[in-house]
Amino acid sequence: MEYSSTSLIESYLRTRKIPSTACSGCGLGINHKIVIQAISELGYNVADIVWGASIGCAGRQTFATWKGDGFAGTHGRVYAIARGLRIALPPEKKIMLTVGDGDAFGIGLMHLIHAARSNADMTVIVNDNLGYQSTGGQFGFTTPQGAKTDSSPYGMFEHNLMSEGMDVMHILKGAGATFLARHVAMDGPVAVESVKKAMLNRGFSLVHMPYPCPTNFAARHLGSRNQVDIYRWMKDRSAPIGKEKPDTIWATGVWHDASNTRPEFSELVWNSVDKIRRTGAL
Amino acid sequence: MKRFLETGNFAITEGAILAGCRFFAGYPITPATELAEAMSYRLPQVNGVYLQAEDECAAMHLCIGATLGGMKTMTATSGPGFILYSDPYGWALGCEMPLVVMNSGRVGPVSGITGAPGQGEFYLTRYPTQGGNFEAVTLAPNSAQEAMAMVVEAFYLAERLRMPITVLADQLITDSFEDISVPENEHEMNEMGFRVWPRTFHRGPDFYPATDALDIPPVQMGTNMGGLCSDWTPTEEGYDIEEVEAHHRHAYRLIYKVRNNKQLFSHHYEKKYMDDDPELIVVSYGTPSRVVNTAVSKARSQGLKVGALRLINLWPFPDDLFTLGATYLSVELNWDGQLVREVQRAAPKDSKVHFLGTCGDLPTIPDLLETFGKILKNQPLQRKGWQLEAW
Repeated sequence: MEYSSTSLIESYLRTRKIPSTACSGCGLGINHKIVIQAISELGYNVADIVWGASIGCAGRQTFATWKGDGFAGTHGRVYAIARGLRIALPPEKKIMLTVGDGDAFGIGLMHLIHAARSNADMTVIVNDNLGYQSTGGQFGFTTPQGAKTDSSPYGMFEHNLMSEGMDVMHILKGAGATFLARHVAMDGPVAVESVKKAMLNRGFSLVHMPYPCPTNFAARHLGSRNQVDIYRWMKDRSAPIGKEKPDTIWATGVWHDASNTRPEFSELVWNSVDKIRRTGAL
Repeated sequence: MKRFLETGNFAITEGAILAGCRFFAGYPITPATELAEAMSYRLPQVNGVYLQAEDECAAMHLCIGATLGGMKTMTATSGPGFILYSDPYGWALGCEMPLVVMNSGRVGPVSGITGAPGQGEFYLTRYPTQGGNFEAVTLAPNSAQEAMAMVVEAFYLAERLRMPITVLADQLITDSFEDISVPENEHEMNEMGFRVWPRTFHRGPDFYPATDALDIPPVQMGTNMGGLCSDWTPTEEGYDIEEVEAHHRHAYRLIYKVRNNKQLFSHHYEKKYMDDDPELIVVSYGTPSRVVNTAVSKARSQGLKVGALRLINLWPFPDDLFTLGATYLSVELNWDGQLVREVQRAAPKDSKVHFLGTCGDLPTIPDLLETFGKILKNQPLQRKGWQLEAW
């Protein structure tokens, strides 16, 4: 596997936006590279993919990095925009969305569920920095239990979408997502393989990718901005599915793979429209 | 030309299709539901797509997504749904996406009365989202036939100005059955004054030039032109930037592409007895204007020097129409007085401005005639208990 950032950047990214303005030690660049590496290994060209981003660290830092066409939506609504766009785009164009955990699992969860329900062809990469970090570090809905943040100074104590038995992956699977995976930023080539599988599914795919935030999350919860500390803390708390330990927060790997088993949204819509137009009925 | 006895919702659907609309996303809400229903029936017949959204916020986002992919799109709702458009409306204004937004006014605030007409969103259509630094365009028809025409016109303006356009109707316009003529070809459309502008897409590299020029095509995804659009202040190429001067250049375009091209809307009004030296000018829009027109004709036959000014283009507000040094009366379907505030601002300094409000029900002709008479005789207007608001 080739791991040359320079050639990936030259092929796919805008030098004006790379390096990004992310904080020193931020793990988002690792996630972004995993995604670009997957795109490269699948042999896609810049013209093959329309890139959507959202608000917050994940959205702002990835918006307009893609050399091709790109957009960023209002907070949590990018799934609805992408679903409308899916209807208008030629089916061979892929839609890649890089969003944050607040966007996907907080403000945008309903739109995300409806994108999954309709099996709209898009790959959603949820870059999860364990809370709302661009606003200074408040807890989100996948923040680990007990985490001290600016808005949970005594520790995050509410049930959330990573609590025992109520993982957000179950919600998305129940809603009809046809590919789901989770990887922490340190998963490297294994994560690349999952993103590739996600992109090869003609339908709704989501890869949840928690990554380290030394500046806010680690500073508050671990009392250290040393990036090694948060990287180690996250790596120790992740394990492949089936090999979880008692303190595992992130079970990594492919959670659900029903790729290409259900008609894709825009294909279903256009086939139905075509039939109604020709015959007057479905 | 085909004639129908049909609702405003039917007329709007046919108008949208004539204008090239091939995508509609909506969420059921009285009194705009039948429009969504008509779209779900008609669009597939013309190779168009109807989507039922999870809420109004998603409905308008779905539309701007399809617009972003090159389609002409429309959504429709009533007051409680229009407020959920605030988020996508801002995105569409900032990213400069052409689409048409229909609001059929009912009685508010909140859910209020679902099946009765109201005009509570006059200012909301001027400020449909937060942040300021933009102009908004609103057209307000007063019949089913005109609703069709104004929807066609809204699509035309949306393309030329590269922005969302609101058509503000009310429950009586969308729900009532009326005599409707639908043109069947381009010639008939021209005869009826329907204008259509094609969708083209921007080829870059400057997607957001600091200019007030018309006819800059929108950014489109999937064309591989490297087009960028986002909710942040853009550079001229579309990159996000936090810089005051870049923002000023962006705001200049959003404001002055409308303000400096008012000739586009200069014919959107109706005057009655306005050239016959009126001492009292009755200003209204939408359904109440139909009662006002009748009342003004009656008043004239009784020798009262009254004229009527009906606004179709509400925003940008047509200040130029308020030149006569007469007394003004604003007749509206709300109790708080919204249009009257703009009339007060636009009318000549020494003109007196009065307000007559009702809501959920139209003003009656006797009430209007009594009010005209009192104003012309300089008798005081006052609130009659809870029953009628006049001042």
